[in-house]
Amino acid sequence: MSKLVLKFESSVLKEVAVGVKEVSIGRSPDNGIIIDNPAVSHYHARVFNEEGRLMLEDFGSMNGTFVNGQRVKMVTLKPGDSVGIGKHTIVVTDSAEIRASSPSNGNGMPAPPKINETVMLDTKERREFLQRVAAVGESSQVAPARLKIATLVVKRGRTDQREYTLADKLTIIGKSAMATVKLRGWFAPKTAAQITRRDDNTYYIGAAGRTPMVNGVAVKQQTKLASGDVIEVAGAELEFVYRD
Amino acid sequence: MAITARHPTAAGTEIEAGACTDTGRVRKINEDSFSVAEEISLFILSDGMGGHASGEVASRLTVDTILAHCRAAEENPSLELSGYRIPGVTEASNRLASAIRLANLTVYEAALKHVRAPDSKRTGMGATVVAAQFVEGRATVAHVGDSRAYRLRGDTFKQLTEDHSFIAEQVRRGMLTEQEARRSNLQNVLVRALGVETEVLVDVREEIVLEDDTFLLCSDGLTRELSDTQIAAVLKDADGADEAAACLVDLANRAGGADNITAIVLRCAPKAVGAFGQAARLGRWFRGSR
Repeated sequence: MSKLVLKFESSVLKEVAVGVKEVSIGRSPDNGIIIDNPAVSHYHARVFNEEGRLMLEDFGSMNGTFVNGQRVKMVTLKPGDSVGIGKHTIVVTDSAEIRASSPSNGNGMPAPPKINETVMLDTKERREFLQRVAAVGESSQVAPARLKIATLVVKRGRTDQREYTLADKLTIIGKSAMATVKLRGWFAPKTAAQITRRDDNTYYIGAAGRTPMVNGVAVKQQTKLASGDVIEVAGAELEFVYRD
Repeated sequence: MAITARHPTAAGTEIEAGACTDTGRVRKINEDSFSVAEEISLFILSDGMGGHASGEVASRLTVDTILAHCRAAEENPSLELSGYRIPGVTEASNRLASAIRLANLTVYEAALKHVRAPDSKRTGMGATVVAAQFVEGRATVAHVGDSRAYRLRGDTFKQLTEDHSFIAEQVRRGMLTEQEARRSNLQNVLVRALGVETEVLVDVREEIVLEDDTFLLCSDGLTRELSDTQIAAVLKDADGADEAAACLVDLANRAGGADNITAIVLRCAPKAVGAFGQAARLGRWFRGSR
């Protein structure tokens, strides 16, 4: 037996079986599927069984009825077809169809997607995610709070601030508009050095026009910064400190 | 790769467009695609997803389909719209939304033919899209997914699009704070994308365009690496649109380059002084200061 699943965006609103009786669709409350939307006609379309086949008929509606993107007047429907009426979608399913299970992580809940891939959540997974988040709290999906805040304390040199909190993935030291640590002075370079943050909250300094020194040693490619390290570049001296 | 184009739109605003795309420092291929179609003031960016380079196919199909439909509509304005007409917006907006719905179907069909995820009916190929078209002093911005459009006006840098991502939805529902969202493990989970279902809801927004407005279209590879403040600083400081776009990509790479990076920078400059120069100058004076 066929089922019609009424959806709006990816949310399921209603499921209706099509049996001996036809299912009419429209804005009027005496329809089998009521879609209360100005783009939908009062009696917009109907779905019915005709000699074993599932049929869709548009009642000459104003904005039309679409099946898989094509405007139709009267067509046969098959499982998987997507009927578009106004902004709503009615998906045709065969209730005997077994829905393949999504990959799970043993708890029976869908496994969280890999971090690096972009994935689409469909309706069922999304509902389960929302329930899980509500039950467990957001902390399950959030990386542990960074207890250490990285800062640069200016020991020597002309800069726009005395101290800087490193809040971004990239921190530029220089005179350019996009520098966080803005060097003052006629001869200050546009960019002198850059500090990058890795996913594990470690910070690395590298050259960006000038070669910085860390604790008196010139930086070759990238040097990892430890709390208390002293950076010298372009006439400025900065101490890198992790604060709580 | 960076390109520049300067051309007038209908209402006396010239748009200087600059674009740059890069694979980034981690990914092996670039699955972002973009198009700068200056003759119809249409700018499109798409970020593809799916295994085995199907992301590249998805984003290319997206951009090409939208471009073809909009170009065809320029020749033939009575070309039928795909899907329903959105009330209360301009013809250009409806046309752009229609183009994106067509792109959705194109990617969906291509995915059915070539790629199938191991579970259920879900196709294994998809794409985001963000597109802007400038017509008669208005910008239409349409999008699906988490690629973004921003506008810089004076000192205000504003995100014009709402991300169709799980995290962004949680923030909108008040279940997550902005700060927690930035630290979440689930940054890449989308709730709306092209090519996944036969129907897609396209978000459309119209903005009046003022002189000196700068628009930015970008993939998330840019915004994951740089803060809004940093991006705005580059847009303000750069000499030209292409320099801005190249600089943004370079900085995103320096910050980590974890994903493909694409930026399209659109600078709205006052029309070059000519026959209408006098009128334009008077108009500015009467409008007063912003």
